[in-house]
Amino acid sequence: MGKYFSKKFIIYLITFFVAVTINWIAPRLIPGDPVRTMLATYVGPAEGRAILEQELRITFGLEGSLIQQYLTFWGRLLRGDLGRSITMYPRRVIDIVRNNIIYDIVILFPAVTLSWIVGNKFGAMAGDNKKTDNIVMPFIYALISSPYFWFAIIVVYVFSFNLGWFPSAQAYGGGLSPGLNMTFIRSFLRHWFLPFFTLFLITLGQWAIGMRNMIIYEVKANYANYMRSSGAPDKLVREYAFRNGILPQVTGFAIQLGQVVAGAILVQEVFNYPGLGRLMLEAVQRQDFFLLQGSFLALILMVLLANFLVDIIYMFIDPRIKASYTEEG
Amino acid sequence: MANTESILNTNQKVSTRLKRLFIKFKKNENLYFIVTNPRIIFGITLFLAVCLFALLGPAFTDYAIDDWAGIGAPAAVAAPSIDNPFGLTILGYDVYTRTVYGLRATIMVGFIGSILASTIGIIIGLVAGFKGGMIDEFLMGLTNVFLTFPQLAILIVVAGFLPYRGIVHMAILVGLVIWPWTARAVRSQTLSLKNEEHVNLSRISSNSTIRILFEDIAANMFSYIFMVFIQQFLGTIMATVGLEFLGLGPTRGVSLGLVMRNALANGALYLGYWWWAILPGIFILFLLFSLYFINTGLDKIFNPELREM
Amino acid sequence: MKKHWKSLFVVTLVLVFALTSLAAFSAQTVREETVIYTGISWAPPNNWNPLYHNPQTGTVGLMYDPLFHFNPHTGEWIPFLAAEEGEWIEDDVFYVKLREEAKWHDGVALTANDVVFTYQIANEVNLFYSSIWNYLGDVVAISETEVEFHFDRPNYQQWQTYLYAQPIVPEHIFSEIPKGDLANITNEDAIGSGPYTIGEAREDRMIWERVDDWWGNDVHGQPGPRYVEDVLVFGNNIALGMLLQRELDVSNNFLPGTPAIVATPEYAVTTYFDEAPYHLSGNTGLLYLNTRKPGLDDPVFRRALAFAVNSEEIINRTYQGAALPACPSGLFGAWAEYRSEEAVQEHGFNFDPGYAKQILDEAGYVDSNDDGWRNSPEGEDLSFTLQVPAGWSDWENIISIAAENFRAIGVNAEANFVDQTIYNDQMWGGEFDIVFNDYATQISGTPYTYFEAVAYHGIDSDEVTQGNFGRYDNQELFDLISDFNMVPADSDDAYEIAAEIQAIIMQDMPVIPVMLNPTYSQALETYWTNWPSADNPNGIAVGWGGLWQMGGTQTLLNLEPVQ
Repeated sequence: MGKYFSKKFIIYLITFFVAVTINWIAPRLIPGDPVRTMLATYVGPAEGRAILEQELRITFGLEGSLIQQYLTFWGRLLRGDLGRSITMYPRRVIDIVRNNIIYDIVILFPAVTLSWIVGNKFGAMAGDNKKTDNIVMPFIYALISSPYFWFAIIVVYVFSFNLGWFPSAQAYGGGLSPGLNMTFIRSFLRHWFLPFFTLFLITLGQWAIGMRNMIIYEVKANYANYMRSSGAPDKLVREYAFRNGILPQVTGFAIQLGQVVAGAILVQEVFNYPGLGRLMLEAVQRQDFFLLQGSFLALILMVLLANFLVDIIYMFIDPRIKASYTEEG
Repeated sequence: MANTESILNTNQKVSTRLKRLFIKFKKNENLYFIVTNPRIIFGITLFLAVCLFALLGPAFTDYAIDDWAGIGAPAAVAAPSIDNPFGLTILGYDVYTRTVYGLRATIMVGFIGSILASTIGIIIGLVAGFKGGMIDEFLMGLTNVFLTFPQLAILIVVAGFLPYRGIVHMAILVGLVIWPWTARAVRSQTLSLKNEEHVNLSRISSNSTIRILFEDIAANMFSYIFMVFIQQFLGTIMATVGLEFLGLGPTRGVSLGLVMRNALANGALYLGYWWWAILPGIFILFLLFSLYFINTGLDKIFNPELREM
Repeated sequence: MKKHWKSLFVVTLVLVFALTSLAAFSAQTVREETVIYTGISWAPPNNWNPLYHNPQTGTVGLMYDPLFHFNPHTGEWIPFLAAEEGEWIEDDVFYVKLREEAKWHDGVALTANDVVFTYQIANEVNLFYSSIWNYLGDVVAISETEVEFHFDRPNYQQWQTYLYAQPIVPEHIFSEIPKGDLANITNEDAIGSGPYTIGEAREDRMIWERVDDWWGNDVHGQPGPRYVEDVLVFGNNIALGMLLQRELDVSNNFLPGTPAIVATPEYAVTTYFDEAPYHLSGNTGLLYLNTRKPGLDDPVFRRALAFAVNSEEIINRTYQGAALPACPSGLFGAWAEYRSEEAVQEHGFNFDPGYAKQILDEAGYVDSNDDGWRNSPEGEDLSFTLQVPAGWSDWENIISIAAENFRAIGVNAEANFVDQTIYNDQMWGGEFDIVFNDYATQISGTPYTYFEAVAYHGIDSDEVTQGNFGRYDNQELFDLISDFNMVPADSDDAYEIAAEIQAIIMQDMPVIPVMLNPTYSQALETYWTNWPSADNPNGIAVGWGGLWQMGGTQTLLNLEPVQ
């Protein structure tokens, strides 16, 4: 257990370290000048621009050698200081990120959990029965073959444009204030459903395919044959197969998270749903590199945290790790 | 007259040779299964059809990418018709033309990116699996680090800072990011292969590591590598099309993701111009769909457990 | 059992997240009392400081008032804080009388001292308008409600833009703030003087709340909507979706397919004009030609290019007719009264590729090496790249067509799309052949701003950001523009100098005016009616920065609820 954990933990630390470093290097390769971009939106008497530009350069000025800058960057980061947004100056990046991350969670968490559960069920069904397999799998393949955003576009076209059941964009309707009142909650849920549903469907296929293959292997495995020959009912064999198949699916869950986040970014773009993905894109488009750094880091942290949680869950359900834990303890 | 005989003779020779070939072919189970597996046949046919379409498609259009195809301004947009089978965009461009050229670019990106990713992944996987020890720890650590990253997020960050982006740039960028899957898969195969007899033999005869790696190990998991390559191809296309859709694709030229981004940005969905937003994506769907079929078909062949399904 | 525990865990987590996200907000607006805008803000609201160069749109015009409102299409001045039209009582003294009723939101009277403070502070601290002190001598309050501006050098033309662009700030609040912080505070607890104040600022929208006991209720009338909600959307297509699903009241986004939308009765979308061009114009879109590049350094060559551009095709294909071609002088709206028809007649241009070819042939720009493209008279190859930011689909289309037009007269030209930062850098740094741009040409109270956009004099620095990106060098013209600034508006001198300037610009063609970019406004009458239109020209229903005081606020004052 200790070894298992420390190894994982080191991986996470390194990942975080690499992420921060990429994050620090990338803006320094920037071809444009963010201050000038910022001033592109300047409206007002012409000569004022020059004065302002000077002011802003001091505010965002990057002083010292590169190594110094790099260390300062880490120092600030560890104190939770991600700097201030350029385009939303003088707001703190960390505040902006905090306000957006909520939307990632309300979409990602239920979509991923549900798709994992349903996908595994489908996969187990398909792996177990040839007929189901031939019917279900082509759909699953079609599902994972569609580019995420393209699938989202179709969902909008069908459910929003044609049927008019759900709104096509935003997190809640106009003229409303977030609060615990029925009007708002209804509006929020109506807006929430399609992005959630899309993300649910596009992540479903991954789990289903993984589970299907697992089950096929497990059902043919020696222990299963042994069980069958010793007269265990089919249902029991299947249950065992499912239980063994689910283990790699849990680690798969962690590994696929990056993919899921990618799906979320694209879905958020189509539905104009707020979140870190949208924030990153906005930051890229406006060359707001502090915001880009902040949202990227938040995303990485989110994924690492989820990985960590999965590790803990895995520890509880995998008897081998549990065993090693008790032995060592 | 003598000629007839000799012809008959050769004919006979040919037929016995064919027969032998067929027997050999039947013996070579893998190839036999490939040719007789309906999933693979279906997949390959569809894949070739899409590639053929990309290759020959431009011959069936009179327009270049940026040619105005509208009938009379300002009524530019048009639903699919005989003249414009995929309709026109709101700016009067022919969707068919853009789709065909975009598809070419996408397939090209897929090949370049996946070749690059596979090469990196195979080398890392082979070395890690074969050498073991610290090298393995280090390389797998690196792989896991890359695997944990949300790939699209890295691509967004890096692409956002690239001054100029061509199609080849994009392919290389994507290839550099998506290799970890291959590395992991190749490593685990290497681990299981490296203790097999022929590898040990080779080692005893003091062949160089590189030679062992390529002649004895890599050559023996060719089928596996091929499947991994297909998966990298899928991954590359998904990633590039996604990037293009986010506006971080090539700044020059046309690509499928860009066509759909433009459609969405111009409100094609709300104005009911479905042909513009939806048709170009179908080809990506076909392309990836066919590859999944090939892949599961191959999976069945290389892993006999699956064969009974 | 374990299963139950798991699902319970999930449900609890979701609930906790949902509740915390909801509890962060509280206030409540009512749809019937709210007017919803989109296409105004492109970033979350975060700054309401009128001394900051780029505060939340509405900070000036809704919350802080300038002395005047100005309608750039009729040229009408509406005294807002001022009681009557300002006047030049001496050659270098401008006099303004303020309204006696004017009050700050905290009840303190808005007086001449506030006006003096607003300008004086820019003399003491570096603010975005501090440069006015290059020619302003003194600002004097001669009574509670009367102010005199004493100029060292009266820049009559430029001064006009200050009258409607510069908000007056409360002395009793801002004098308490340390001088160094004046430009940096975000001013969340703003005390303004306008009809609205900050209601709520959220990540995705800005809500302005009406000040019910506003001093202007009796003078300017009380605005209809209790709340003005400025909803952030990240794409014009999103606004289109919201418009068609009737989730907003007015969209200030460029919506492709406007003719189709307006023509569909069930959408019930109204625009300023019922038919093309649908919208009022907001600025002049120019092709800047880099006058330091071979070929483009020759006025004859530049002129030939102007005759090759098919503006009508550009408008039809890009905007489906929802825009207007530019006059060769580039002037429109309130500027148009300075337009010299004579100069346009004599030096103007129109789409005539045949004539363009003729000019080029006569000047020796012929295909001397038979590669299909024209060469310079010296036989050098000429080829040009037209640039706009990648992703600005309408602009991409404009230069694609312009490049086609140039190729049609044998000039080798190609469209190129680059990231916006690179585009900006290259444009400001003078490292381009041809760019399409409108950053500097926004409609204003004086054609001086347009002349500056075309031929700004400060071209010797590494970066030129205020206009004249092609670095056109003509001291005579620079002097004339400066002279123009020094003559009173509407004087004979002003018209005369303006005509001279236009003649020179049109002869030398440092820029090619292509089209007028519209101020987009697509409104619904679900909740509000009496939107400005050609029959009811009471303003412009656009809330872009700088446009509230040019008709945006007037629109709100005139809106009426649908019964």
